[in-house]
Amino acid sequence: MADLLKFSMPGKPEYVGVVRLAVSSAANCAGFGLEAIEDIRVAVSEACTNVLKHGEQEENCYEVECRIEKDRFVIRVTDLCGGYDTEKYLMPSVGNAKESGLGIFIIKALMDEVDILSTLGEGTKIQMVKYLL
Amino acid sequence: MSLQMVSSFDLSSNCWKIELSGEIDISTADIFRETLEKIYHEKKNNIILHFDHLDYIDSTGLGVIIGAYGKMKENNNRIQILNPKKNIQKLLIITDLDQMLL
Repeated sequence: MADLLKFSMPGKPEYVGVVRLAVSSAANCAGFGLEAIEDIRVAVSEACTNVLKHGEQEENCYEVECRIEKDRFVIRVTDLCGGYDTEKYLMPSVGNAKESGLGIFIIKALMDEVDILSTLGEGTKIQMVKYLL
Repeated sequence: MSLQMVSSFDLSSNCWKIELSGEIDISTADIFRETLEKIYHEKKNNIILHFDHLDYIDSTGLGVIIGAYGKMKENNNRIQILNPKKNIQKLLIITDLDQMLL
């Protein structure tokens, strides 16, 4: 049986640090070493930042789920600010394009599996997996 | 955890020195950008970022440094990172920014 931890977050930048702390702590409980915990901390933070870049929302903006399984740690960040302007999403501003591309690049470099699911009308989900060796 | 910055102009090496501690993320990237812009506007010289006590930087923070690097290059100035911690060094290597900024 997997253990599931769920956090509901307001869309404010000052709380991304809270997610970093909470998920690092969960990764520690799952049995990861220091370097892997750091990788998970950086990746989940980038996924949260990605949600906040669509613009600020006061409450219930995104959810972070951590599933601790026997051989892996699965983190899913779901953007609940859903139904956002798809035009804006498809065409990020020139100044932002490089930075958000960098965030996704970092996530892919640090995690073992990364899936980005974007369905029209639903918020984007970023699911990341780190294997417990 | 927030971000603390102490900036000073070093006359002997003729460059800006910024000592940073804490974390640069989406909540502190703006104040970091403003500080860089302010000092560079005051005196257009190289900037050395002392990362000895910086615990964390994310893509928004790295984006600010990349932006400053581009603007400063027009005046033949450089921005450099000194003494990053191991976790930050790893991030600089995977993003290929180490050769540009270290």
